[in-house]
Amino acid sequence: MNFWRDIKGTLQPFWITLGYLFKKPVTIQYPEEKRTPPPRYRARIVLTRNPDGSERCVACQLCSAACPVDCISMQAAEAEDGRRYAAWFRINFARCIFCGLCAEACPTMAIQTTPDYEICNRDVLKLVQEKEDLLIDGCGKDDEYNYYEHSGVGVANERGGNEDEYGPVDPKALLP
Amino acid sequence: MPKLTIDNLEVTVPEGTNVLEAARELDIVIPHFCYHEALGAVGSCRLCAMMFVDGPVTGLQMACMVEAQDGMVVSSTDPDAIELREHVIEWAMTNHPHDCPVCDEGGECQLQEMTVAGGHGVRRYNGKKCTFTNQDLGPFVQQEMNRCITCYRCVRTYRDYCGGTDYGVFGSRNRIQYGRFQEGTLESPFSGNIIDACPTGVLTSKPFRFKTRLWDLQEAPSICPHCSLGCATIPGGRYREVQRVKAGINRETHGFFICDRGRFGYDHVNHQERPRQARVDGQPVAVAAALTAARERVAGMAREHGPNSIAFLGSSRASFEGSVLLRDWAAATGSQQLVYEAHQGRDHAARTLAARLGEHGRSLEDLRQSDLIVLFGADPLAEGPMLALAIRQAVRNGGKVIVIDPRPVELPCAASHLPLAMERLTDVLTALAQKDLHAFDNHEHAFLENLSEQFDSAQRPVLIGGADLLGGKGVDALCSTAAQLSSAECAVGVMTMLAGPNSYGGALLAGDGPDFDTILDAIQEGTIRALVCLESDPFREAMDPSRAQAALGHLELLVSFDATPGLAAQRADIFLPTRANAEMAGSYMNNEGRLQAFQAVIDPGLPISETGAGNHPPREFFQTTPGSAPEADWWLLAELLERDTTLAALRKTIEQSDECFVGLSAIDAESTGLRFSAQGSLPPAAEQDLLQTGVTDALKLLAITGPVGSHWLAHLSSPLAATQPKPYVVLHPEQAEKLGLSAGDRARLTTHFGHCHVVIRTDEKMVNGLILAPQLWDTALEGMVPGSMLDCQLEKEGKA
Ligand code: SF4
Ligand code: SF4
Ligand code: SF4
Ligand code: SF4
Ligand code: FES
Repeated sequence: MNFWRDIKGTLQPFWITLGYLFKKPVTIQYPEEKRTPPPRYRARIVLTRNPDGSERCVACQLCSAACPVDCISMQAAEAEDGRRYAAWFRINFARCIFCGLCAEACPTMAIQTTPDYEICNRDVLKLVQEKEDLLIDGCGKDDEYNYYEHSGVGVANERGGNEDEYGPVDPKALLP
Repeated sequence: MPKLTIDNLEVTVPEGTNVLEAARELDIVIPHFCYHEALGAVGSCRLCAMMFVDGPVTGLQMACMVEAQDGMVVSSTDPDAIELREHVIEWAMTNHPHDCPVCDEGGECQLQEMTVAGGHGVRRYNGKKCTFTNQDLGPFVQQEMNRCITCYRCVRTYRDYCGGTDYGVFGSRNRIQYGRFQEGTLESPFSGNIIDACPTGVLTSKPFRFKTRLWDLQEAPSICPHCSLGCATIPGGRYREVQRVKAGINRETHGFFICDRGRFGYDHVNHQERPRQARVDGQPVAVAAALTAARERVAGMAREHGPNSIAFLGSSRASFEGSVLLRDWAAATGSQQLVYEAHQGRDHAARTLAARLGEHGRSLEDLRQSDLIVLFGADPLAEGPMLALAIRQAVRNGGKVIVIDPRPVELPCAASHLPLAMERLTDVLTALAQKDLHAFDNHEHAFLENLSEQFDSAQRPVLIGGADLLGGKGVDALCSTAAQLSSAECAVGVMTMLAGPNSYGGALLAGDGPDFDTILDAIQEGTIRALVCLESDPFREAMDPSRAQAALGHLELLVSFDATPGLAAQRADIFLPTRANAEMAGSYMNNEGRLQAFQAVIDPGLPISETGAGNHPPREFFQTTPGSAPEADWWLLAELLERDTTLAALRKTIEQSDECFVGLSAIDAESTGLRFSAQGSLPPAAEQDLLQTGVTDALKLLAITGPVGSHWLAHLSSPLAATQPKPYVVLHPEQAEKLGLSAGDRARLTTHFGHCHVVIRTDEKMVNGLILAPQLWDTALEGMVPGSMLDCQLEKEGKA
């Protein structure tokens, strides 16, 4: 019994391999040939912009807090108009595990994952990317959201001028 | 002691405890906003609802407003209580702007926490949100009014606890605005406390604005290095710089709040000119090489010219452990020339206090409970601001405050004031002790008579002195008076404001060694040829800086250990960089002899904001951190003396060699500190005449401590720069009139330092016939060492 089973086990793989010789190959000849990953693929991280072209990131440090390998660092600063932004923003891609938690944590849609997986480099320093390297010219996956249109600090619009706000009120008013 | 049941657990609490506090005893945290241990409960936020099931009170109540009573049965998990809390937090959130990502409170926000704890997850209200206009409240406090939940904690902190008058609440219904009547800088020297008190992001720190988040801050319990009170602080650092300080909690000393000098005076750690490189004869060397050079040259000097040719100068800034090792180095060398304070008056005051304080010592907590406080030559807002707050709490508890001082001492509470010349302070003390007031006439006599009577009826009186004005003799008189006025029923307490965080520790170690003026004479004569300075700058701190600079020029060897860019550090032959207080563990002994430990917050290194010049950190990588050479003062000295260089081992050796310091290794930075029974020795008797002449036809000028920002470490801290006034002098209005001056005029002040331009201020609370000039660093008044008397001239230059 065992004898016949062993014979079958030895020959069957050869038979299957032989069968594939006559089918169309699925292997891609990378890097000559490239595959297009699905749009939600998690690879190169970018910083996107608001629909009006301004930087989206408010340097809230939520992505760096969420990042399990601590590869994001930044320094927040204040612009003339009160906007909080990243004075510098660094991702160390040599450490990144492309888990996408940073994008998940981001309240402004600034940090996003993209399908660009070709990041390899022999020089580790080239994998340490700064804000200039990360910032792209578009909105990425959401072309409408602008955080400052919804938060009440009066940056995108005058104070009290956002869609869901009124005021500012006059605390010295005497009317009931 | 009432015994009550909360969530089926029994707890017994002291009389007067409210149910919220009782629940906290059981580790049951009820969501709350307006309750604060130091501020008490007012029941305004309506969040702390609990169900009182059985007992003297029943029904749904605010836990903070109900005093715990026997037999109460309370539930925090009752569905009605939970539902009410959920609604209250939902109401609090209706107008909230939801801007956590750009809010500095994010990550340490009580509103975030309570929203989660209260169970409010999904926003149901879709109406428009109300907004407010912000005010610019000055260099310390940033306001974002939209985030307010009207809990009143800021107002209660600022007005009630700290005695500020220029911040309050306006408006009605949903237009409640907190702020000043008119936009402007907050006036209280305790304004920063509203940052800690506000449970939301309305009030945040301006110097810390957008610097970092709590989760990225390195924090550790520390002790404030800015005055002798030793308030507990929690500095926070990131990217190799200290970025903020918030108040720690020590119920025995400062309580829950700190002053603005302590809160915003952290930047000396990050100072650009801070020396971080060891040097020998101007050449940068490794720390080990500099230590060897120091050890060998000092030993060589001792061999050649005798051990007493070397003097050792400690300071009130150095850690207690470092100070002990300095003494050991002096002893190992065989030198008797050891002193811990370059300023003679402060040195004598500290040593006298360490020798005589004993049972009279009082903590700030004792002070808050005191019913009669008399200040002799002490100006709390200048010399130790939290003392002023403790005094205010005593007044709020019904205590009386009396000030006897040549200066117009401002306090954040009511006080009666007797202006009296500096030389006469000691006379008053003696007269009070002997109950013999005949040397005083008219209103002085009446005032002191009244004071004497108040002493007879007081239960817990405390005498407070200031080292700058009293000096050794004055502090001696202060302690004698306290001893003589004490009776079996009523012990009179003493507190004295000293120069720095470890003045008392240094004084204990100094013994009856010479004072620095004696050492200066010996340097001038050439018998002392070498000086070792541990975190001190005798060029600036000595009583008469010009005399000190002349004498110190004769030195053959100057060794300096320092963390600040002082003159001694610049001119030293051998320089060793030390760590700042936030970068090391160690301990300080405060002005009541309480030893308090602190921990390292960050490691030394050039701040990334500096190496990156505001942009991203340099794209180069090194094995070692740039600028990381500084080591703790005690580490350097232990290494130099070839001792074990761990703090634990060091503390053990100190305990073994000095019996009076047993317990040192047990203190930890989270505790309230430990008072040792150690007693110091009195300083050598001779005290110099403080008057310095050199200008003819002279008026008398008294140099005083300037307001917040005029202390050396504070001066090196950029957030405090905005509080540094332009050079000014203060006169009594009558004297000003005699000189043809009025408030606001510009004048030319001439002293033996030369001429300088000052603005005239007048104050009728001060003594007539004296000119007061504050010490202000980097101005023409830099040489005004507090406590010294100078001859001067004052001429009008221009009108207000
Ligand atoms: S993908 Fe994951 S590992 Fe990479 S930066 Fe984002 S959070 Fe960090
Ligand atoms: S990328 Fe998003 S999460 Fe990260 S700091 Fe910027 S705004 Fe915050
Ligand atoms: S400003 Fe802050 S502390 Fe003051 S009432 Fe509003 S939330 Fe409370
Ligand atoms: S009172 Fe003194 S020790 Fe306390 S925070 Fe202010 S400066 Fe620091
Ligand atoms: S904490 Fe009790 S009502 Fe606010």
